[in-house]
Amino acid sequence: MEKNNKTQRDAFWDRIYEIAKINRDIIIISADMGAPALDKIRRELPSQFINVGIAEQNAITLAAGLTMTGKKVFAYAIAPFITLRCLEQIRVECSIMNLPITIVGVGGGFGYEDSGPTHHIIEDIAILRSMPNIMINNITDIVMARAFADISCSLRQPNYIRLDRQVLPIIYTEENNFDKGLSVIRKGKDFYIISTGCMTSIAKDISEELSKEQKNIGLIDLYTLPINENELIETIKEAKKVITIEEHFLPGGFGSAICEVLMDNNINISVKRIGLSPKIGYSYVYGGRDEIRKHYGTDKASMIKQIKGFLNEY
Amino acid sequence: MEDLIRRLEKKSFQIRNEMLDMCIKAGTGHVTSSLSCIDIIVTLYYGNILRYDPKNPNWKERDRFILSKGQASPALYTVLADIGYFEKENLDIFAQKNGKFGVHLQHDVPGAEITSGSLGHGFGIAAGIALGAKIDRDLYLVFTLLGDGECYEGSIWETAMFAGYNRLNNLIAIIDRNYLCVTDFTENLIELEPMEDKWKSFGWETVRLDGHSFKDLLKVFSDVRSRKRAKPLVIIADTIKGRGIESLCFNPLWHGLAPKDDMVDVCKLELERYRRYGEE
Repeated sequence: MEKNNKTQRDAFWDRIYEIAKINRDIIIISADMGAPALDKIRRELPSQFINVGIAEQNAITLAAGLTMTGKKVFAYAIAPFITLRCLEQIRVECSIMNLPITIVGVGGGFGYEDSGPTHHIIEDIAILRSMPNIMINNITDIVMARAFADISCSLRQPNYIRLDRQVLPIIYTEENNFDKGLSVIRKGKDFYIISTGCMTSIAKDISEELSKEQKNIGLIDLYTLPINENELIETIKEAKKVITIEEHFLPGGFGSAICEVLMDNNINISVKRIGLSPKIGYSYVYGGRDEIRKHYGTDKASMIKQIKGFLNEY
Repeated sequence: MEDLIRRLEKKSFQIRNEMLDMCIKAGTGHVTSSLSCIDIIVTLYYGNILRYDPKNPNWKERDRFILSKGQASPALYTVLADIGYFEKENLDIFAQKNGKFGVHLQHDVPGAEITSGSLGHGFGIAAGIALGAKIDRDLYLVFTLLGDGECYEGSIWETAMFAGYNRLNNLIAIIDRNYLCVTDFTENLIELEPMEDKWKSFGWETVRLDGHSFKDLLKVFSDVRSRKRAKPLVIIADTIKGRGIESLCFNPLWHGLAPKDDMVDVCKLELERYRRYGEE
């Protein structure tokens, strides 16, 4: 397996750079955010790179206008700002007008760990999945980041690429296909963990650890919303219990989306949602991502304890 | 020139009349916001300013008209129907059952270009189109019509700064300066003046004119294609919200409303008087 020392940001923009050299209709709008690959684009393809300054609303409306002239536009900033600061622009231009803009946010979840709650983004999935037409792609590793660079270029609808900020383990190989919106990382039977984004590599460790205790527990990495319902149901229909894991507030988030699919399809499986409790609220906890996770009970040890308790329940 | 002005005056009365009938029938629509900018829209579409083809709404070389103040959709819809973008019958069911369009501008209506209604969006979209045209070396122009109240939106100034700095001289913004917002006059809310100074400081060339004078509008519009300017142009068009129907003017309470009951006849009468005044 490829050893990783690269961020999803660099993997994604490196691939976009390669595509942009060939496809001159690719335009990147940055709200004053950089990356080594973006420096290359700015230097070598100056007409395809626009820095609008710290002005996310303008980033989205400009992207909309450029899209109407036939450009494929990527609008990029720190995730909370390129989603929530310009949310109404996203609602009108992306959701209502269905312009195929790709919104790229870096720092999903607690990626900007010690920067505090203004820089954490733990509500965006709930908010954006409530808007029709917008596809959410919560990126798991650099292989997926590269793949979604290509996928975004051919999409005929808007999408939101949610990149993690930190270097995360590699889960996938170049042979993986991400069209289905979810991948079975570990086949299970009675129990399944369904995780997303940065939590999948931790969920992988957990599923391996629990399997040693002969809990036959599978793992699904679900990265595209709206959920591919048929594929999900087909995978977990025999399961008795499902655990969802997200680095996001629980109300309306990833686990909620899975519960909706199960309920709407009359599938009676017990679900334990692991994520961030709104009762704990926002955190001013410093000392790294794991310290923040401990505060919410979403660090590995806490999650194992919760999952074991859930699996042992009747 | 004089002939053209006469034609525009006639046309603007016709559009006012049809727009008013449409809104009265629907019982809704921003009549006063439409009346303040009808002369501007009529000049663009009938004064040989805009390049467009109603039979081919997506013609690549068309000039773009982006109505950022989407509440004035009744004015634009009436014009688009009149020049053949769609059947006039659609105006009869404006904002009603089976209607194809409603109170605010809708992107899937031929010729409408964008969805608008939330303010501060269309201007940025227009700048994006202008930038796209520059990148592709396309020669069409992008006109965008803003409300003056819309200029309270912060997003307007994000775009203004960008367009000024990037010298989008294919972008022409027209501000329908009718001095009225939803609840009060703009200068009672938060002063918008001095408008020219604000726009100049953001890198724009400015022109101020009477937004109901076809002569002044034609003079400025007829020169925009020459690109004598390096900067984007903002035309601050002083207008009257409700122009043509005296009873609807200078009263913020008429914002967003269509006349009903006794006011229907009053408005029709006053509009007819306005037409006669124009002919004299």
